[in-house]
Amino acid sequence: MTESSRYEGLVTRAIAFAIDAAIVDLIALLVGVTVGLALSILPIGDTATVVLVAAGGAAFLVWTLAYFAVFWSTTGQTPGSRLMQIRVLGENGERLKPRRAVLRFGALVLAALPLFAGFLTILVDARRRGLHDMLARTVVVRAPATAAPVELTLGVARPLDSHTPGTSPVHDWSGG
Amino acid sequence: MSIIPFGLVARPARALGRRAEDLTLAALDAALASRLGAEAVDRVLGSELLSRAVSRALEGPLIEAVARDAVRYAVIERLANGLSDDPELERLLGRALESPATERMLVRVLESRLVDEAVRRLLEGEELWLVVDEIAQSPAVTEAIARQSVSFADQVAGQVRDRSRSADARLERAARRVLRKPSAEP
Repeated sequence: MTESSRYEGLVTRAIAFAIDAAIVDLIALLVGVTVGLALSILPIGDTATVVLVAAGGAAFLVWTLAYFAVFWSTTGQTPGSRLMQIRVLGENGERLKPRRAVLRFGALVLAALPLFAGFLTILVDARRRGLHDMLARTVVVRAPATAAPVELTLGVARPLDSHTPGTSPVHDWSGG
Repeated sequence: MSIIPFGLVARPARALGRRAEDLTLAALDAALASRLGAEAVDRVLGSELLSRAVSRALEGPLIEAVARDAVRYAVIERLANGLSDDPELERLLGRALESPATERMLVRVLESRLVDEAVRRLLEGEELWLVVDEIAQSPAVTEAIARQSVSFADQVAGQVRDRSRSADARLERAARRVLRKPSAEP
C-alpha cells in the first residue's frame, strides 16, 4: 500500500457525503412534513408562519451540524463513512474534539462555497486533504470494518490500542 | 367307579388326539394347495358378500380404531425404523428409482390431469396458505432472509468501494498530469 492510498480520495468521500446528505435530508423531510401537517390544521397568521419557517431553517442547520459534529467527534465515522469504510481523524491519528468537529463542518461549508473548489486539493495533496481538512487539521483514512481505529505513526497506520506502554508515537508528516 | 387305571387310558388318548390334529392340518394343506382351494378363494374374493362386508367395515368405526391404534402403538415409526435400517430395502429402492420403468411412470403421473387437479385443489385450499404463512414467519426463514440481504448489501457496498477507489486513483493521476506534478504512486 502506498503512502497516499491509506488516505481516502475525492470520489469515495463524495459518495460517503452523498449518503450522509440523503440521511440528513430524509429525516429533515419526515420531520418537516409531520410538523407541516400538524400546523396545517391550526389557525396561524402570516407572521407566525414566517417565524416558523425561519425556525425550521435554523433547526435544519443545527440538525445538520449536530449530525456531522457528533459522528466525527465520537466514532470518527458518519453512517455514510461507515458504509464506505473511511474515518475522520486528527492529523496525529487522534479522535476529533467536538469543537474541532464543528470547525471542520464550518470549513467544509467554506470549501463548498467557491463551486466546490475547496475540495479539489484532495486530488493533488499527498495526504488527500481538502481545504476543510487543512483548516481543521484532519485526515480521512481507510477504516476496514473489522479493524480497530487506526493511529498514523511514522507514515504507518496501526491500531490505536497497539501502543507499547511508556512510549509515545512519533509522527512524521513531512510527506505532505 | 372305574377299575381301569387312569394312566393306562390317558396316554393312548393323547396320542390319538395328536394324530387327529396332524391329519386335520395335512388335509388343510392339501385343500389350500388344491385347485379347489384356489377356486374357493377366488369365489370368496369375488363374492358380493365380501364386498358388502368390506364396505360395512370401512363405513364403521374400524378405520378410526385402526388409525388410533397405529398412533398409539407407534406402528408407522416402528415400520419406518425397521425399514430404514434395512440395506436390502435400500438397494431395492435404489434399483426401482433408477429403472426406466419408474421414470416412465413418473412422467405419466406428472403429465396426467390428476396432478393438475391436485395442484389446483391445493392452491384453492386455505391450509396451504396457512402453512406458507407459518413457514414465512418462522425465525429460521426470516433469519436466513435477513442474512442473505445483509450479505447482498455488503457485497454491493464492497463493489461500490472498490470502484470508487479506482476512480479516485484515475482522477488523481489525471489531475497530476494536468498540473505536471509527479505521481504519488511509486
